[in-house]
Amino acid sequence: MNDKADVWQGTLALMILKTLETLGPLHGYGIARRIEQISGGVLSLNYGTVYPALLKLEQEGSIESQWGVSDNNRKAKYYKLTRVGHKQLERETQDWQQAQMILAKFLSATEPST
Amino acid sequence: MKAVRAWFHRSFGLFGKRRSDAEFEAEMESHLRLHIEDNLRSGMTPEAARRDALIKLGGVEQTKETYRDRRGLPFLETLLQDLRFALRMLRKSPGFTFVAILTLALGIGGNTAVFSVMNTVLLRYLPLPNPQQLVFLSLPNGPPEGLSTTGDDDKSFSYPVFEALRKEHAVFSDLMAYMPLAVDKVAVRSGEDPEEAEGDMVSGNFFSGLGVSFARGRGFALEDETAHTSVVVLSYSYWTTRFGRSPSAIGQTIYVKGVPFSVIGVTAQGFYGVEPGSSTDFWIPLQNRPELSAWGEEPSLIAFYGSPKWWCIQLIGRLVPGVTESQALGKLDPVFQSAAFIGLGTPEPKAKKSNLAFSSTQGIQDLREGYEKPIQILLAMVGLVLAIACANVSMLLVARNAARAREFSVRIALGAGRGRLLRQTLTESFLLVAGGAVIGWMFAISGSQALAASSGVEIPFELDSRVLLFTLAISISCVLVFGLAPLRRAVSVPVGVTLKTSNATAYRDQKSSWSGKAVVASQMALCLILLVGSGLLVRSLRNYQTLPLGLRVDGLLVFGTDPFSVHSDEEKEHFYQNLLTRLRVAPGVESATLISHRLGSGWGWNSVWAIDGVEPQGPFSEIGMSANHVGPDFCHTLGIPILRGRDVTDADTRFAPKVVLVNETFSKRFFPKGDALGHTVTTISSTSVGKHKLENGFTIVGVIGDSKYKRVDEKPKPTLYFPFAQQTPIPNIQVELRTHGNPEALLPNVHAILHGLDPNLPIQKPMTQRAQFDESYSQARLFARLSIFFGVIAVLLVATGLYGTLAYRVGRRTSEIGVRMALGAQHGQVLWLVLRESLLVSVAAILAGVPVAIAGARLMRSMLFGVQPGDRISFLLALFGVILVALAASIIPARRAMRVDPITALRYE
Repeated sequence: MNDKADVWQGTLALMILKTLETLGPLHGYGIARRIEQISGGVLSLNYGTVYPALLKLEQEGSIESQWGVSDNNRKAKYYKLTRVGHKQLERETQDWQQAQMILAKFLSATEPST
Repeated sequence: MKAVRAWFHRSFGLFGKRRSDAEFEAEMESHLRLHIEDNLRSGMTPEAARRDALIKLGGVEQTKETYRDRRGLPFLETLLQDLRFALRMLRKSPGFTFVAILTLALGIGGNTAVFSVMNTVLLRYLPLPNPQQLVFLSLPNGPPEGLSTTGDDDKSFSYPVFEALRKEHAVFSDLMAYMPLAVDKVAVRSGEDPEEAEGDMVSGNFFSGLGVSFARGRGFALEDETAHTSVVVLSYSYWTTRFGRSPSAIGQTIYVKGVPFSVIGVTAQGFYGVEPGSSTDFWIPLQNRPELSAWGEEPSLIAFYGSPKWWCIQLIGRLVPGVTESQALGKLDPVFQSAAFIGLGTPEPKAKKSNLAFSSTQGIQDLREGYEKPIQILLAMVGLVLAIACANVSMLLVARNAARAREFSVRIALGAGRGRLLRQTLTESFLLVAGGAVIGWMFAISGSQALAASSGVEIPFELDSRVLLFTLAISISCVLVFGLAPLRRAVSVPVGVTLKTSNATAYRDQKSSWSGKAVVASQMALCLILLVGSGLLVRSLRNYQTLPLGLRVDGLLVFGTDPFSVHSDEEKEHFYQNLLTRLRVAPGVESATLISHRLGSGWGWNSVWAIDGVEPQGPFSEIGMSANHVGPDFCHTLGIPILRGRDVTDADTRFAPKVVLVNETFSKRFFPKGDALGHTVTTISSTSVGKHKLENGFTIVGVIGDSKYKRVDEKPKPTLYFPFAQQTPIPNIQVELRTHGNPEALLPNVHAILHGLDPNLPIQKPMTQRAQFDESYSQARLFARLSIFFGVIAVLLVATGLYGTLAYRVGRRTSEIGVRMALGAQHGQVLWLVLRESLLVSVAAILAGVPVAIAGARLMRSMLFGVQPGDRISFLLALFGVILVALAASIIPARRAMRVDPITALRYE
C-alpha cells in the first residue's frame, strides 16, 4: 500500500530552496504543490510539513517572507531566497550530487575486482 | 553561524507569541483558500475541494504545534512558564516567602562576608598584573648584628643591598623599594587644615615595576628617584576623600611635613599600596632630606636612607617569568651576603648569618598567622548557620508541599510528568535562593565593611569574583538540597491516597514524621555547638575586659603630635613643656603627662640595661626589659600607685640629675632582697659589633606598681620609665590627659591649643586610653561579637524551625487531639503530648551535640583566653539555652493543642 515515498529527512529544505530559486518568490501552498508535481506524484507530502521547514529556513536566514497578493488576487505570505540561501543551495546541491555519485558507484560495483 | 542566528530568532519567538500565532493562522487560511480555489478550478464540488485541501494539509493542530515548537524554544518557554507560576505561588504566601528569603539571606550573607575576609587575608593577590610573580624580600633570621633596624627588621634592608640586588636582572625584571615616612601617619596639608596621611617613599621603578595603572596623570620615573624630585602620587581613595575626585588635583601642591610636593598622578581604583593590611595614601620618590626620613626617625646621621647601617628599606620584586623562587634565591644570596656588609666591615665568623628569603604577596602575611585559624573557625560557624537556615527553609517547604499534596496529586492524575513537577518545585526553590542570595549579597557588603572596620585592616574586604563564585556555589547547593528533599516526598505520594482522603486526615507516613524530627534535632545540635562556641568566646572577651591593667584607665584621653618644625632637643623640650603647661590649665583637664610609646598600642621599647654597672646575663626572655619615656606627673595622671620613692616631676629636666622609675617586677627580679631605690641603671650602647660600653647612669628614684604596657594580655615585665627630657635625642611624644568627664569632650580644646602652638600640627589618633587598650584584643572582641551574632541568629532560626514544625504537627493532629479529649483526656495530658515530642527531640539533640561541641571547642583553644575548652559554664549555658529555645518554641503550639474544642475538631472529619 505504501508505494509513495516519504520525504527524506533533510531533503525538504533543499527542495524548497531549489523551488524558490527556479520559480522566484512563492507562497507555501505553491511550494508544496511544486514539490509534489516535480516528483511526479511519487512523493507523498503533507502540505503542512512545509511550514515548519519554511520557518526553520527563515530563522537561519536562507529565506525571507513578506505578505503579498497572489495572481488571482488572494493575500498570501510569499517567501524568497536570500543571498545566504543562494549559497546554501549551491553548497547543498554539490554535497547531494557528490553523495549520489558515490552511492551510484558503490551500488554498480557488483563484483569484487580481484 | 546559521545555528546562532536560528537561536537568536527562536529566543525572540518567545515574545509576541500571540501575534505570530495569529499570523500563522492567517497563513494557513490563505493556504487553504488557494488550494480550494485550485481544486474548484479542476472541477471539484466546493465540499470535496475543501475536504481534499484539508486532507492534503494534514493535521492542522499538529502542524501548528510543530510550528510553535520550531518558532520558540520549548524548553525556555516552559521555564518561563515555571518561573511565572512560581512567582505567583510565592506571592500568594508572602509570609512564607519573606521568612524563607530572609533566612537564606542571613545564611548566605554571613558566609559571604566571612569568606570575603578569608579571601582578603589569605587568598587575594595584589590587584596588579601577574601578581604571582611578585615577592616580598625578607630575612627570616633578622639582619646582621650591630645595625639600626626598624620594627619590621625581618624585612628591611640597607640602601647598598637594594642597589646590589636591583642590578640582578636575570632574577628580577624589577626590584622596587619602599619605606614609610612614619610608623603610622605623617602630617600633610593641602589647604588650611593639617591632617594625617600614610605615605611611602618609593624607588623610581615602583609603579612601572609593579604595573600599577593610573586613574589620572603618571607615576614616577627613575630620574625622580635620583633627583629626589618634589612630586607626589595620590591613591584613588585619598584622592576621593581629600579632593573629591577633582581632576584639578593634578598640579596642586601638598605639604608633607611642611615640604611642598606637587601632585602628578592618581593610582587606579583598588590599589592600596603594597604594605600588607594597610592602605597607603600617597607616594613620593626617595628623598634625602632630614625632615623626610624613613620611618620618621630622628634626623641624625643614620636616618638617611643611604646609610649602610640604617636597614630601613623594604623590597618587593617582580621575578622574571620562568625563574623559580629557589633558583632566584640561589643567585641572590651571594650578592646579598657581600652587599650586606658594605660599610659594616667584615662580619665576625661567629655572628649569626642572615639569610635572604621570599615571602608571598598572597593574602596579608602579617595577619595570616593570627587570623588563619579564627577565620576557619568562623567559616565553620557561619557554615553551621547556613546549614540550620537551609534545614529551616527545607522544613518550611516540606510543610508547604504537604499542604499542596492535593494539588500535586491532581496534576499527576491529569498527566503531568513527575519530571515536570520536579522542575516546578526546583524553580520555586531557585527563586527563593536567588532572592536570598541577592539580599544576602547586600548583607555581605555592609557586613564585610563592618568586619573590616573592626578588624583594623585598612584594605576593604572586597567582594571580588572569587567571593561571587563562592556565593554562587553555596547558593546552588542550597537549591539542590531543599529543592529536591521536600519534593521527593510530595511526588512519591500515591495519587489515589491523597485524592481519597479528606483534608484533615491527609496522608501522613511514619517515616516522614521521623525525618522531620531528625532535621529539627540536628538543627538543635548544631545550635548547641554554636552556642558553646560563642559562650567560650564571650567568656574569653570578658576575661580580656576584666583584666586588671594596673592603672585607672577611665577618664584618660591620649593623642599624638609630631612637632616636625622643631629639631634640637632644647627646642623639643621647650615645645613639650609649653604644651603641657597650656594643657594643664585647659578647662576640664585634671592632670596631664607625656609618654613616648602609647600604652596598649602594641608598640614598645625593649632592651637590656646594666644595673649598677653590671650587665645582666641570661637569655633575653629572662633579662629583657621594657622601657618608656614619660613626662612629669606620670603616675599621678595614669593612676599607677607609687610603692616607694617619687613620681617624675617638672624638675627632671635635661640638666637635672638623671633619674628613672622602675616597676615592681623590675624591683623584685633584680633586687629580690634589697631596695631598688638609689641604685643606678646604665644604657649599654653598642659601639661596634660585640663590644659594649657603659654610659649615662640613671638613678632609680621610684618603684611603682606593675601596669600593662603593650597589650592587656601581656605578662608583667621589668619596666623602666625615663623622664623624656633626659633622653638624647628626645623622641616624639604622645600626650595623656586625665579628666573627670568624657575624655573625648576635651578634643576641641586640645585642637585649639595645638593650633595656637603651630598651625601645621595635626592631632594624631586621638582616642580614649580605654579604646586604645581595647585595640590590643580587637581580634578577640571581633570574633566574640560575631559569634554572638551568629549564635543569636542560630537560636532564632532553630526556634522558628521548631515552632513551625510543632505548630504544623499539632495542626494536623487536631482531630486526633479532639478524639482524645472527647474520650476524656485531660489538658495536662494533651500538653504533655506536645511537650514530650519537643523534649525528646531536645534530648536527642543534646546527646548528639555535646560530643561534637567538645571536639569543636578543642579546635578553638588558640582563640581562647583564660578559659578552658571544656569550660563548664559555657556548656551549661548552651544546654540551658537550647532547652529554653525548645520550650519557648513549644509553648504556643502546646497551648493551641490544649484549647482544641473536641466538637469543632471532630466536625473537621
